[in-house]
Amino acid sequence: MTFGYLIVVNDTDTTNYARLAYTLALSIKNTQKEGFDKVALVINDKTRIEGFNSTWVFDEIIEWDGAVHWDGRSYMDELTPWDATICLDADMLFLRDYSHWAEYFIKNSELYIANKAFTYRGDIVTNDYYRKCFTANELPNLYSFYTFFVKNSSLAKEFFNLQRQIIKNPELFANNFLFKYKPKVVGTDEAFALASKILDITDNIAYSLEFPRVVHMKGNVQNWPYGADDCYDHIGFYLNKKGKLKLGNFEQNDIVHYVNKETVTLETVNILEEIAWQKNK
Amino acid sequence: MSKGIIIFAHNNRQIDYIRMSILAAKLANKNLQVPVSLITDPSTIDWMKESNIEKTVTETFDNIIITQRPDDTNNIRNYDDGKYRVHAPFNNGNRCSIWDLTPYTRTLMIDADYLTLTDTLSNYWDIDSDLLVSSKYNDIQGSERIGYLDTHISETGVEMLWATTVMFTKNETTKMFFDLVAHVREKYKMYSDIYRFNPIIFRNDIAFSIARHIMNGYQKIEEPNLPDIFSTIDKDVLVDVNNSRLKFLIAQNNSDDYIATTVSNKDVHVMNKFSIMRNYDRLMELT
Repeated sequence: MTFGYLIVVNDTDTTNYARLAYTLALSIKNTQKEGFDKVALVINDKTRIEGFNSTWVFDEIIEWDGAVHWDGRSYMDELTPWDATICLDADMLFLRDYSHWAEYFIKNSELYIANKAFTYRGDIVTNDYYRKCFTANELPNLYSFYTFFVKNSSLAKEFFNLQRQIIKNPELFANNFLFKYKPKVVGTDEAFALASKILDITDNIAYSLEFPRVVHMKGNVQNWPYGADDCYDHIGFYLNKKGKLKLGNFEQNDIVHYVNKETVTLETVNILEEIAWQKNK
Repeated sequence: MSKGIIIFAHNNRQIDYIRMSILAAKLANKNLQVPVSLITDPSTIDWMKESNIEKTVTETFDNIIITQRPDDTNNIRNYDDGKYRVHAPFNNGNRCSIWDLTPYTRTLMIDADYLTLTDTLSNYWDIDSDLLVSSKYNDIQGSERIGYLDTHISETGVEMLWATTVMFTKNETTKMFFDLVAHVREKYKMYSDIYRFNPIIFRNDIAFSIARHIMNGYQKIEEPNLPDIFSTIDKDVLVDVNNSRLKFLIAQNNSDDYIATTVSNKDVHVMNKFSIMRNYDRLMELT
């Protein structure tokens, strides 16, 4: 059985998703053990990664422009080249070896979706500032930023088919199922949660585990005494030359979903490239 | 392994810490059944002799350890006494020296205004942890009076530890910890920039919190702690002591509206030092 990570991006002249995906792939190569470090990139235009120094960090590059914005991720089950896949958001960084998480899912699951997130200080996110729709409509608290699935699983197939229908018909599903609090946009998280609820499979695909641990850097869920649009207005993002990351005063060891797309600078990329080159020379 | 309690007492012109420490020591000794030693300074000793309490001090404490008075001349804080306010130096900058000064292998450090009225802390001597600090402040009124900066050193910073009660075993790890506390004290302004807290008054709570955060690899780690510090703030007033019941007037949400509350069978951190001294004789009856 092949296993790998999958990153689906739709890059344009006004976005930098290709760079974010490249940075994530570098961090995966730098931290994961052999056999658990494969990365596939699905991108709307292959030329957008041509300028990067080390495109070898992508084991598979698949050009596909069948959807816009984040909708591409709703096809993750059809696009992946791997038998078992963990699909990630592009704006994330790996900071240590998480292969044992993947090993667990490969042995024990057909489909598993992250169902909690952490602040940069290590506390579980409980604030529903961005998830009023989830609370009001009693949706399971799923986060699509880390989704494990097995390609030939009937459970996964049924789930992804329904969530695709939700993404394609947001008004219909919102009017029928999310009427207590209609989200402005039915995104992947809402679609995943609603599909899970309709199919009544939450206990199978989002049961309680100590992992995956993903630090979610949205401003208003950090348990601060004030609201914050952008975390980085208040704390620093410090990546040292060894690839160790501190957010504010806190060293990060879990996957960091940094959210702000400007966080990854050329310096960040260069640091991770240097580490990758040292590791593979 | 020797076990004992340490209390620091450095008098200022407004507060007679050494008399207060006699009370704290006698209560701790009675309820925890271990010896208590005093760390103080020459000028406080002079005052002790002048005020004729030398004999009591000698009888109360297992050891009297004389050290330099901490240079806290600029560390001035407000001491409230109910509705009244006094400014006085806050001479507490030498807590980090306890590792060198304590005569015990396992030491419990308590503040002079911490009234040990139960044997709760006895349960912690044998816990397999080199360093135990209180991690939570438990206000007598409840959570309404606990602000964000009572639980964190700054809005975006680390969680606050309460150095009111600290227990440690003398070894290399705790040596490193107290050296680190001393370093944070020395570079307090620099650390205030890094950790984003207000440096206007040196607080052991903040220095201890930062030192432990650094020792834990700049991460929050679940580890054993001493019990929450059950506290009355200095705006609250201790008005009566009847057997083991302490009657307080509690400033509702820090306002000038007061409500009476009685506390019994609990260790209490009484921040209003003036009201401890007003009730000194009654409190001594509990020892």
